[in-house]
Amino acid sequence: MNQPVFVLNTNSKRENQREAQQGIFLAVKSVASIIKTCLGPKAMLKMILDPMGTTVVTNDGNAILREIDVTHPAAKSMIELSRAQDENVGDGTTSVVILAAEVLASSELFIEKKIHPHYIIKAFRMALDDSLSIVDQYSVAIDLKNRPEVLKVVQSCIGTKFIGKWGSLMCNLALDAVMTVHIQEEDGRSEIDIKRYAKVEKIPGGDISDCRVIRGVMLNKDVTHPKMKRMIKNPRIVLLDCSLEYKKGESDTMVDITNEDDFSALLKIEEEYVQRICEDIIKLKPDLVFTEKGVSDLAQHFFVKKGITCLRRLKKSENNRIARISGATIVSRTDELQESDIGTGCGLFEIRKIGDEYFTFLEDCKDPKACTILLRGASKDILNEVERNLADALNVARNIVLDPRLVPGGGAIEMALSQALSEKSKSIEGLHQLPYKALAQSLECIPKILAQNCGANTVKLLTELRAKHATNPTENYTYGVDGDNGTIVDMKQLGVWDTHSVKVQTLKTAIESACTMLRVDHIASAASKQ
Amino acid sequence: MSNKVLMIDGDRISGNEVRAQNVLAVTAIANIVKTSFGPIGLDKMLIDNIGSIVVTNDGATILQKIDIEHPAAKILVQLSELQDQEVGDGTTTVVILAAELLKRANELVARKVHPTVIISGFRLACTEAIKYINETLAVKVETLPKDFIINIAKTSMSSKTINDDSDFFSKIVIEAISRVKTIDYKGDVKYPINAINILKAHGKSAKESILVEGYALNCTVASEGMPKRIQGAKIAFLDFNLAKTKMKLGQKVVVTNVNDLEAIRDRENDIVKERISLIIKSGANVVLTTKGIDDLCLKYFVEAGCMAVRRCKKEDLKRIAKACGGTVLITLANLEGEESFDTTALGVADEVVQERLADDELIIVKNSNKKLASIILRGANELMLDEMERSIHDSLCIVKRTLESGTVVPGGGAVESALSIYLDNIAATMGSRKQLAISEFAESLLVVPKQLAVNAALDASDLVSKLKAYHHAAQTDPSKKSYAYSGLDLFNNKVRNNLEAGVLEPAIAKIKCIKFATESAITILRIDDKITLNPREQQGGDHEGHGH
Repeated sequence: MNQPVFVLNTNSKRENQREAQQGIFLAVKSVASIIKTCLGPKAMLKMILDPMGTTVVTNDGNAILREIDVTHPAAKSMIELSRAQDENVGDGTTSVVILAAEVLASSELFIEKKIHPHYIIKAFRMALDDSLSIVDQYSVAIDLKNRPEVLKVVQSCIGTKFIGKWGSLMCNLALDAVMTVHIQEEDGRSEIDIKRYAKVEKIPGGDISDCRVIRGVMLNKDVTHPKMKRMIKNPRIVLLDCSLEYKKGESDTMVDITNEDDFSALLKIEEEYVQRICEDIIKLKPDLVFTEKGVSDLAQHFFVKKGITCLRRLKKSENNRIARISGATIVSRTDELQESDIGTGCGLFEIRKIGDEYFTFLEDCKDPKACTILLRGASKDILNEVERNLADALNVARNIVLDPRLVPGGGAIEMALSQALSEKSKSIEGLHQLPYKALAQSLECIPKILAQNCGANTVKLLTELRAKHATNPTENYTYGVDGDNGTIVDMKQLGVWDTHSVKVQTLKTAIESACTMLRVDHIASAASKQ
Repeated sequence: MSNKVLMIDGDRISGNEVRAQNVLAVTAIANIVKTSFGPIGLDKMLIDNIGSIVVTNDGATILQKIDIEHPAAKILVQLSELQDQEVGDGTTTVVILAAELLKRANELVARKVHPTVIISGFRLACTEAIKYINETLAVKVETLPKDFIINIAKTSMSSKTINDDSDFFSKIVIEAISRVKTIDYKGDVKYPINAINILKAHGKSAKESILVEGYALNCTVASEGMPKRIQGAKIAFLDFNLAKTKMKLGQKVVVTNVNDLEAIRDRENDIVKERISLIIKSGANVVLTTKGIDDLCLKYFVEAGCMAVRRCKKEDLKRIAKACGGTVLITLANLEGEESFDTTALGVADEVVQERLADDELIIVKNSNKKLASIILRGANELMLDEMERSIHDSLCIVKRTLESGTVVPGGGAVESALSIYLDNIAATMGSRKQLAISEFAESLLVVPKQLAVNAALDASDLVSKLKAYHHAAQTDPSKKSYAYSGLDLFNNKVRNNLEAGVLEPAIAKIKCIKFATESAITILRIDDKITLNPREQQGGDHEGHGH
């Protein structure tokens, strides 16, 4: 043979078994090391400059990883983990990545010892199943009606965040908002739609302590005509999604006017049309008219004459929220308006001036199933960070309402799990034992990093904690690291709790993704689609 | 070289040289996929030029994704695709087998056996092998214990990422398949796996994947004011827009009377209103359409308490319509030129509900006794979900093939080693050069058990010889007939009866696999000249076969 044979495209890159596995370990570890310092109450912030030149200042795991541009495929999949966690439970985005990296790292030793990944995966799966049942055992349910209790939990979850200073305020906001949008259906299922019905509005200026939950809707809008009323009590609300001006039909129509009278007739028809639709509305004597489309000057004139206030160009989502708080139906043809379409559930309509802008408030609703959270803060950056943290708090509050079970926080449950699994590993036969035990130990990374981040003596603290759990596993399982001053405390007394659903999700995601990564023995760049 | 004589604008290689190149290329391809083979095989991570990642164990997927240049190697890629389409599983096996056949054939050619002799030998061996599978090795499913089908599903999952939860997933697969069982007009039982919708939602763990007794649509209700749950649903399936009527492009209305303009406007609104009221009057309380629904039409549905879903996929709609007994309507016009809505076009379902899943919402059409099934997969991230979907799909295909064909063979290298022994014996009866080809074919088949053992880091030579001894006994000693089902137990490093252990594959998959591998090996073997024209022509390799 006198010439080389090119089977694969020579530009494509391939990594085989050992290279691939080592690359994965390295990539995953470095992703985790970025956000390691963002765990716990003494977490630090990261400042990220994105390609557009805007800065993001945050300590939210998902927000950090989202902005970072990584190339290694394994690192990419780690970042996706934190996104999945965010979408599902909205909290624990940092710990899931740290845990996944640690679990994977714990298997590195065995790969080097040439133990087949298959055995490691099997052992990890066994450990996952066991740990889920242990978490169930150690979880305690709380009473949702006991508000201070629930509040405390939410507080412990967002304690690590920037808004820690205004913690109780934010927790109250989150809990209020979630309770407002919580709907219990007849068949016992709960619906909490934060995305649609708990809107967060940010207005720069003022102080963070001015943040509040408006049991109603706030819009960044002013009335269309200066003479309209700016405050109405118990308004009758009409919601429209059609325009209150003359609009041509959809079909391509053309009018040939040959005589002068026809032209004025045409104009007259247009005027009459606007008048007619306004009369349709006025007939029902509403106080407030909202529409998603435009309102012509003529229509405004009619409304002002009848003392009706009108706002135009709402978003569909805003209209939906108003419909939900006031009980109105969104109508698209004025001639179909009925008394039943009018919403009367709202107690107060008022336009207020905040800073330089006018805002519309619809408040004091009888039974609001939607709310707006108004955030105030010194600058846009701060507001964005507060919003991210509030989103976490909202999710925590939602998780608690949906599943009111808690597990001790501060690394206590991880330590307890580690303890229980190590104990159990002794009864496992064969090659599975070692990886199983390694996984148990890797769970210790959470209390370890907590201790590290608050500057405590890690080794001393961790051994102490381990001893505490080992001496009496059934009693002492609530002992963990106090992330503020680096001591070992009973989480029951400190009141640091995590939600059961978040912890379970973290374990599942971390271990399952580690298993996926372990199964890879070859990395190749695939065909370019041209 | 001969280029000068023939005046070819390009390269030409022929004879042994091209054959050696082809074999090299094919072996390289097989080397890529062979470590993903078997229950202890590992996955490959593939990255394309825009950086999206695929982690997979499926031979066909791996080969599709990598950038292959060599023409002979491309034949193998097509081969695995073919296997994927025809059977749905065994895509790795077929590539490994074809590569091994070629390698051995090339050695024979080096020993001056003419390729045509080898080809006819391979053909004969292939026919004999298939006959032997059908007559001796295949086991009718009726004779097996009831849970055999679960074992089939499990075997097909054994090499995949869902292996550790195969108990769980095999149940889902079997249940899904049995829900869509249909009997066609000829009385044949069919399992249209297309009727099983697989949806993915990341989050939770793999074990929380669920089978939905109904069809899940990745859509949401058109308006928040609509009910999210309707029991005793009557479903209208539409394939047209519910929006203000608009004339087709390029048509123009010229109005002479100014009042007519207004009338046109009104009519535009009224036409759609009339259509909606026809639909609502017919008793429909769920409306699914492939097109859009204008905001202005939503109110009518909201008031009537109807659930309306827009922009469903057409194929989804067709399937639901078929299962619920409805018809997808393209228009409301009837033969008289009027518009009407026939109540017979409505489908019925027990319940239509919108459910929240992770950050998304799904519409689920639940129908406990109809031919619909959806599998909603959960998992840590997209990579995992994609791979789970491929595995579930493979498994569904295999179960379907088994149920439709009705015969199974033991897995774990059992069939291949039995065939190897059998063909070796046949070879011995041949008094011609074909003997060599057949015995090489027999030897090639052993690559399957060998590779299984190698992937499990076991002593392949030792294990395969043991396996062969068992099969030899089975074929010579009538009292040891059950040894014919012996295959490898890779976890305990021994030979066992794989029929009893429940490692099963549908016979049809094995037969197709051997057939395809032989055919493609023959195709490549027939090549004795390769002419690569220079890129000006924009053409890749051109093969020319020389039959004698």
